[in-house]
Amino acid sequence: MLFSSLPFLYYFLPCVIILYLIAPKPIKNTVLLLASLVFYAWGEPKYVVLMTVTILLGYIFGLLLERFRGRRSAKVFLILSVGVDLAFLGFFKYADFFIANFNAATGLSVPLLNIALPVGISFYTFQILSYTVDVYRGDTAAQRNVIDLGAYITLFPQLIAGPIVRYSDIAQQLKGRRHTVGKTAYGVRRFVLGLGKKVLIADTLAAFCSAFAASGDKSVLFYWLYAVAYSLQIYFDFSGYSDMAIGLGKILGFDFLENFNYPFISGSITEFWRRWHMSLGSWFRDYVYIPLGGNRVSKARNIFNIFVVWMLTGFWHGAAWNFILWGVFFGIMLLIEKLWLLKYLKKARVWNHIYVLFPVLFSFVLFASVDLADLGRNLGGMLGLGGIPAVSAETLYCLRSYAVIFILALVGATPVVKKAASAVENTKWGGRILTVLEPVGLAALLLVVTGYLVDGSFSPFLYFRF
Amino acid sequence: MSNRIKNIAVTSTAAALLMGLALSAWLKPADEFSVSERRPLDGMPELTLDSLLADEREDTFMSKFEGYTLDQFPLRDGFRTLKSIASYYIFGHLDNNGIYIEDGYAAQLEYPINEGSIDYAAAKFKEASGYFGEDTAFYFAVVPDKGYFLAEENGYPSLDYDRFFTLCREKMDFARQIDITGTLSLENYFKTDTHWKPETLGGTADAIADAMGVTLSADYEEAVLDVPFYGVYYGQSALPLPSEEMRYLTGDVLDGCTVYSYEAGREIGVYDMEKAHGKDPYEMFLGGNLTAVKITNPAASTDRELVVFRDSFGASLTPLLIEAYSEIIVIDIRYAPLSMIAGYRDPGGRPIAADLGTADDVLFIYSTLVLNNSNTLR
Repeated sequence: MLFSSLPFLYYFLPCVIILYLIAPKPIKNTVLLLASLVFYAWGEPKYVVLMTVTILLGYIFGLLLERFRGRRSAKVFLILSVGVDLAFLGFFKYADFFIANFNAATGLSVPLLNIALPVGISFYTFQILSYTVDVYRGDTAAQRNVIDLGAYITLFPQLIAGPIVRYSDIAQQLKGRRHTVGKTAYGVRRFVLGLGKKVLIADTLAAFCSAFAASGDKSVLFYWLYAVAYSLQIYFDFSGYSDMAIGLGKILGFDFLENFNYPFISGSITEFWRRWHMSLGSWFRDYVYIPLGGNRVSKARNIFNIFVVWMLTGFWHGAAWNFILWGVFFGIMLLIEKLWLLKYLKKARVWNHIYVLFPVLFSFVLFASVDLADLGRNLGGMLGLGGIPAVSAETLYCLRSYAVIFILALVGATPVVKKAASAVENTKWGGRILTVLEPVGLAALLLVVTGYLVDGSFSPFLYFRF
Repeated sequence: MSNRIKNIAVTSTAAALLMGLALSAWLKPADEFSVSERRPLDGMPELTLDSLLADEREDTFMSKFEGYTLDQFPLRDGFRTLKSIASYYIFGHLDNNGIYIEDGYAAQLEYPINEGSIDYAAAKFKEASGYFGEDTAFYFAVVPDKGYFLAEENGYPSLDYDRFFTLCREKMDFARQIDITGTLSLENYFKTDTHWKPETLGGTADAIADAMGVTLSADYEEAVLDVPFYGVYYGQSALPLPSEEMRYLTGDVLDGCTVYSYEAGREIGVYDMEKAHGKDPYEMFLGGNLTAVKITNPAASTDRELVVFRDSFGASLTPLLIEAYSEIIVIDIRYAPLSMIAGYRDPGGRPIAADLGTADDVLFIYSTLVLNNSNTLR
């Protein structure tokens, strides 16, 4: 089920909130678990069995890891636990990729499995991995209540597209949560704004990208606009979802960590990845990069570690070579910065921000490419190869038609609006005016979004496939 | 204090809105038909184990329920209009759902030329020409959509109409092209609909008749349909556009004709007044989406027989040609292949195929919208 859908907004969510509010404290997590399983089953009911098995295995391994912590058998259980979780992920997400490449390399024709990808498997697998590893390390206690662990793993606000919430971050909140008007209002704000980002901006930019893809009248400018539109689309799509997840979490009493922090204003690619999908970056840092030795090893080993992490980061995003190349590209960029460029970028004030945009645009063109030929076409188009015109009538039409959304997206990708709102709020009259305008504005935004949903077609989140 | 009031206001407003709309959605009786979009609406799907576990996503209860919520949402038309206004006037989109408005006329973005589609249509028409005798004369006329008058000069992506007409001429080389663009202007079209206004087509009919070697001279009177007309773009754009008047021509010539529907197996009128008051009043002309009708004119000025292959544009124009022909067979191959239609029989048992074999003239009259999306032709 999508947050930006009528069944979620006007059927599932009201029911869950009512049930959650009237449920006595001891069974609130049970309500959350059942609601989350319904939410999950909406996409593919058969995979509820897989989810249940995953929860039970995580629960049992957690208890075993704690019971045998410090002993050799704990390591065996950890390997088993991680192995089983990665086996599920590998089977459902990567089996066909490996079979296809095996066939290509050997000339054999091993049939593809064509298995439907369980929604959110990449996210919840990483959450369970963080839980079992943390229990093994002794960083957190094992959860003795299977309902609470199940609620953590399946928690619908972040189940299918993150942010990747670590068990240790919300272990206390699973025991008991504070609900305040301030927290709820903050959650409502984040949720409605995230919904607006997704439906009004990301989906509209998606329509621009579709118009580009369908166009028979492409131009160099069109290719560049597409690169900008897709980059902004994926940002507003994913950060909008994260906003909604964080907002829903707040409404239900949870505090999830932030996942985005205006990545497009970064002054380096290194900084970009500290601001983009922060929960994934920190997960790979803590559970892959540092265990491999991090940067406290030889330079050669450190370079190897960086490439392993970024190749895996790319591969996590999808079972295709373009995602691996995408990750490797960022690995190379980060390495270049680490070895040479970063010291100059830190001193710069303007050009470093401009510099960041080009590799980021390139990376998202790579990210969006179906295959290498598609990548070649898009990059060739951006460079004006193939005799395409600089501008075409259709490009100008699309530019005119989407100009307001482009401007909104470009401004919204910076903290300008947030700072302006904060400045207004801190004035004597501004605060009073916002007291009236904010609820009205949020209500208007929700109504307009509802109008878009009623009128529009289904538009799944991009990060669903991960 | 101010923050607390604001937080209460935010929470209570959102809760009231969410719960209010949710309750309305749960309690609202299901509608069966959308008048503005001219289509049936999805009802509540049946919840069964099979529907929950169906293999294909679109067959599942969940998928159908999503369709149900989209179709049955309370104040649905109002929300669609709200979206359109936001999209068009706030976010500055130049079109909404592919419909743009210029000079008060709603028109559909139609571009680029789909050459394969013209090829396909031409092949279908060529195939149809095989049903006729050697002495039959073939003509074709392409009806420009409103984009011909609106798109390019107002900066919208446009078909290259000159090339479109040239391609049609080249690919339909068995027929003589009748250029009707000079007889038309934007005023010949409805503001909220795809179609042209039948009462304004005298000049166009004259041009076609002249090209086919017959003369038209009948006088007609205009009649006005007693219900407001909202065209197809009204529903598609969901913008608050004003209604229009549907006019049609009456006169002795048309009154004296009989129109036989092969599918219904009975006579119908030139104008189907039941359909005129139905979901799409433009279907009133020659029965709307009927695949074959025969118009017989006992008072014809000649004994010539005409066969018209048409879309809905052709349906509203054809009655104006009847005074010059003793018989017109009007065929729509969007709903059934000609091989099937040719087997239809009139009350005397004469199959259409026999009529085709003796026809003097054949006119293919199609709009650019159909020719550029001709996969509907069978």
